Amino acid sequence: MIEIDEDKLIRCPVCDAVNIDKGKENTCRRCGSAIFHHRSFSTEKSWAFLITAIIAYIPANLYPMLLTSAFGIRDESTILGGVVLLWEHGSYPVAAIIFFASIIIPIMKFLILIYLLISVKYPLGKDKKVSKHKLYYITEVIGPWSMIDVFVVAILAALIHLSSVEILAGTAATAFAISVFFTLLAAHAFDETLIKENR
Amino acid sequence: MKIENEDALDNFVICHKCFTLNEEIPIADGSKACCSKCGHILYRYDSKLIDHSLALSFTGLIFFILANLFPLLQIDILGTEQFITIPKTIVSLFDNGFYIVGFVCVFLIFIFPLMIFLINILLFTLLKMERGEKLTKELLILLSHITPWSMADIFFISLLVALVKLIAFGQIHIGISFWALMVFVMIDIYITKSIHLSEIWMLRKRILFNKDKN
Ligand SMILES: [Zn+2]
Ligand SMILES: [Zn+2]
Repeated sequence: MIEIDEDKLIRCPVCDAVNIDKGKENTCRRCGSAIFHHRSFSTEKSWAFLITAIIAYIPANLYPMLLTSAFGIRDESTILGGVVLLWEHGSYPVAAIIFFASIIIPIMKFLILIYLLISVKYPLGKDKKVSKHKLYYITEVIGPWSMIDVFVVAILAALIHLSSVEILAGTAATAFAISVFFTLLAAHAFDETLIKENR
Repeated sequence: MKIENEDALDNFVICHKCFTLNEEIPIADGSKACCSKCGHILYRYDSKLIDHSLALSFTGLIFFILANLFPLLQIDILGTEQFITIPKTIVSLFDNGFYIVGFVCVFLIFIFPLMIFLINILLFTLLKMERGEKLTKELLILLSHITPWSMADIFFISLLVALVKLIAFGQIHIGISFWALMVFVMIDIYITKSIHLSEIWMLRKRILFNKDKN
C-alpha cells in the first residue's frame, strides 16, 4: 500500500497514463516518455515557439496571400483584403470562415497561450472564472483550423495557371504556414501539469 | 488516496478537458464513460475494437489511394479544362518555389494521414495476433505524436471554400477524388477522434500482459 496525494497525479501527454509527479525527472511508467523534464525552465521553450509564431504572423498579414493576374491585370490581396473582397461579393459564409480561421483563431491562440504561460509563473486568474485547462483544450482543438487559408491558396494556385489567367500564392502563405506551425509547437510544448487550480 | 502499487493507477483516468481525476469502471459493450465533472468522453468500450479498427483502417486506406489517383476538381476556363489531384496540388507548390508551404502540406495532408492508417493496420494486426510487445508500444507512441498534425479534414473544408471562390472563374466539375476524400475524411475523423489512444493502451495491456496469467 502506498499513500499518494491526489494533487501529485499527472497525465502523460503521450499515452494518457496517470503518473505520480516525482518532481524533476518524470518518466511515464507506461510508455517511457519524459513528462516535461526541465522543470527549471518549464515555460521557456513554449515562449520561444510562441514569439517566433507571433513574429511570423506580422508579415503574414502585411504581404499578399494571393496574386491574381487576369489578362495582364495583376491583383494582390492580403488575408484581410481577401476577406473584405469575399464579403463584398456576397460570399458571407466563406468570408466568415476565412476571417475566423486566419484572424480570430491565431490571435485567440496567441492571447490564450500568453495568458497561460504568465499565469503558471505568476499569481494570475486565481479566481477560477475560466478554467485554464479548458482554455488549453480549446487552443488544441481549434489550432489546426487556421491552416484553412493556406490550403485554399494552394488549391487555387494549383488549379488556375493559364497564360492569361493565373493565381499564385503570395509571400504571406509561407509566413502564415510558419506562424501556424510554431503556434502548434508552442501549444504542445506547454506543460499542462503546471496548471494547479482545481487541486 | 491509497493504492496498492503504481500499476493500480491504470484504474484511473484524467480528463483531457478539465484534468479531473476519474476512476475507471467497467462499462457495457458499446457504451462510453464520461467525465464526472465536465461530461467530456473519457473512454469507450468496444469488445470488437480490433476488428472494427482493422476494417475501418483498410477501408480508409483504399479511399485514400482512390482520393490520390483521380482528379479532385476540374474547371473549364476560357475553353480549356484544368484539373487538380492531391499530389498535383503539392507538386505545384514546389514548382512555384513555395518549398516551406509545400513541405508543410506534404506532411499535413499526405504523409501523416497515410501514416496513421498504416500504423493502425500494423498495430491492430499485431494485437490480433497477440504479439509485438515492444513494437506496439513504439507504434502507439508514434501515433500520439502524429495525430495532432494530421489535417486531412481541414484540407477537405479548404476544398469547399476553394469551390466557392472558384465559381467566379468558370464551370466547375467535382471529381471522383472529391467523394473518395470525403469518405476518407469521415473515417479519419472517426478513427482519430473516437478511438482514444488510452483505449488501445488498455487493450494492449489486456491482450499482451494478461495472457500469461490464464
Ligand atoms: Zn506515457
Ligand atoms: Zn472533465
